[in-house]
Amino acid sequence: MVDLGVATLTLEMVAESQMGLKALGAGLAVGLTGIGAGVAEMGIGSAAVGATAENKDIFGLALLLTVIPETIVIFGLVVSLLILF
Amino acid sequence: MLQPKTMTRLLIVGSKEQMPSAVTELYRHHVYHITDYTDQGKEGYEGFRIGQPMEGATELSTDLIKIRSIESIFGLSPDDYLDTKKRSSRSIKEIIERELPAIEQEVSNLTAQRSAAEARIKVNEQRIAELTPFSGIPLELGLYRGYESVSVIAGKAPREIEITVPHEKFIASDKGNNTTVIFFKKADRATVEHALAEAQFQPIPIPEEEGSVRKAIDTYQSEISQLTAAIADIDEKIADIKGKHGNFLAACDEVLSADVEQAEAPLRFATTELTFIADGWVPVSEVQSLKSGLAQATGDKILVMEVEETGGHHDSHDHSKNQPPVEYDNPGFAKPMQSIVDIYSRPRYDELDPTLMVAIIFPLFFGIILGDIGYGAVLLILALGLQRMLKGEAVQQLLKVLRNASISAIIFGFVYAEIFGAHPGALNIELWHPLISRHLLIGTHAHHQGDIAVLLVFAVWLGIIQMTLGRFMGVYNHARHRNMLHVMGQVSWIAFMWGALLLIWSIAAIPLMPDLTMLPPIVMGLNIAGIIGGILVLAGAIGIGIESPLELIELPSVISHSLSYTRLAAVGLSSVAIAMVVNFIAIEMLIEPQFKELTAVGIVLIIIGIFVLLIGHLLNTALGLLGGGLQSLRLQYVEFFTKFYKGGGEKYNPFGKKRNLTED
Repeated sequence: MVDLGVATLTLEMVAESQMGLKALGAGLAVGLTGIGAGVAEMGIGSAAVGATAENKDIFGLALLLTVIPETIVIFGLVVSLLILF
Repeated sequence: MLQPKTMTRLLIVGSKEQMPSAVTELYRHHVYHITDYTDQGKEGYEGFRIGQPMEGATELSTDLIKIRSIESIFGLSPDDYLDTKKRSSRSIKEIIERELPAIEQEVSNLTAQRSAAEARIKVNEQRIAELTPFSGIPLELGLYRGYESVSVIAGKAPREIEITVPHEKFIASDKGNNTTVIFFKKADRATVEHALAEAQFQPIPIPEEEGSVRKAIDTYQSEISQLTAAIADIDEKIADIKGKHGNFLAACDEVLSADVEQAEAPLRFATTELTFIADGWVPVSEVQSLKSGLAQATGDKILVMEVEETGGHHDSHDHSKNQPPVEYDNPGFAKPMQSIVDIYSRPRYDELDPTLMVAIIFPLFFGIILGDIGYGAVLLILALGLQRMLKGEAVQQLLKVLRNASISAIIFGFVYAEIFGAHPGALNIELWHPLISRHLLIGTHAHHQGDIAVLLVFAVWLGIIQMTLGRFMGVYNHARHRNMLHVMGQVSWIAFMWGALLLIWSIAAIPLMPDLTMLPPIVMGLNIAGIIGGILVLAGAIGIGIESPLELIELPSVISHSLSYTRLAAVGLSSVAIAMVVNFIAIEMLIEPQFKELTAVGIVLIIIGIFVLLIGHLLNTALGLLGGGLQSLRLQYVEFFTKFYKGGGEKYNPFGKKRNLTED
């Protein structure tokens, strides 16, 4: 009788699934932080464009405020690089 | 360098008789930044008043408006004539009086003719639109009216309409929206209208014309084509005039703009009945020549006073009034970066001008991010090409920034050994061994692994250096204002950051950073470096707290800002990955397999592969430009400038204008 409930794991399979989970984690790190940065920049960006339309001089400040949350996704990218390599 | 040009405040006082010659002289020198006089406007105030424009200002403005309107008709910009020979402004003035009215008359006649023709075309198009529905009905237009007992209704209906009373119906089918014309007895009107209303009938007006519909439409159409030809003719004439007089008009514009500006200059002066006072700033180096010029022009009948107020030593809270205007003073290679700093904000007169720093660091960062000989070369060619094609000061400056940045990208391309992401990967190419490898394991030939950790730490190091530099610049700015509390605050930040670094080094070994874990532990598992670090962190935090307790919330920014610099490595790596994937798909998946056995399908696949290769790399170049440019700019703006830079200085805008097309 073959017991279908138990499958044997070889060492390669363990290594491969570890690799897979790492890749998943890296993907989640970039993807979720990307969503976070996007949501954060959404409000700031639209307000910044509006403010720049009113007064062109504050373009620099507007750009600065818009890119502040972008660091979040860079952190995600760095974390995923560290996971993968 | 690092400082704006030093300015001297000059008061020019004279009798009103001297004003015109003084204004002309100021305009010619093009160095005097006038501070506009503002009237107090209080009741009963009996002091200086804002001056009145000089005589003839109104006529000059009228002429200028005429010229500008002709220019806008021609779509002419004075920049188009930059390379032409300069004319004498005296001769221009004579020609203005002689020729301008004639030219204006001719141009306004032509434009009037053109707009009349355009209006006529509109009317005809409208008529045609009204006639078209009737073109399918076999009736002459005269037959639609003039009956005593018969009525006619025309309109659009989606389907055929059932009418119970005697009538005659004509239908021209037109895709479910048929034109229907119904003739019926006048007495039956109510019944017919009822039936029509139920059938979603939309009445249309019957054109008041005679003869066949087709003929009428043809007549109108031929008239339209005649009018279009006439308009083309007029446009040609206008272009002719533009070619003949364009240069002259651009020169007129320049001369008259200068005259108008001079005539209106008194509006910025303080005047009494007989005298005027101009208040303004001049770069120190220009003071002497301006003074002697003014003395000469007015026969020494004018008083020029240097006011002992060079700025720079004000209290930092009172900078709104009487701050000198700011003009950059940078070596040639840093000049293009001024426009980038201007986007953020012009430096204040009493703070360090970061342009030189940014001029070095921005291309460096751009190179670190893009770092590819191929992409760098493409951008360099692009920058040089656009420099020839595009005109305009601001664009040229930005293109020079791009040029410097792409040269830096090429240099880093050599360091990383990358051309269009072509490392050993999809192709078995090994250019040379990279100093720092960004190569990834994509493609079958790939054997390098990138030095990812090294790259990340290297980026953090750059961040630590730049932020420390920024803090030191902040210390200098505050020290100049004798603002010791803020000096201490800035020093505390430096102490906090380096203390935190020491602590980290004493706990963990990090590549590229000093490894202090070997030192013997002294107290609580901390070694000597750790203890010094801890003390620095504590002292720093206390100092920051004393400067402003709110700043304590910002403490983690030391970590987040340092880590933010890792984008230098991370963004660059993502662009490498895209390049390698493009190479892999195009070369290894599409092109290479076809060479084993060349078939018709194979050739198509090769073409697709080349297409993918081109599009992919084009896209990646654009992304690299955007990513490299914006990310490294952001590091300057957010991580660097916030440490010391306030900005908000007034732009140095000297009275006068560079003559491009005319001369005296």
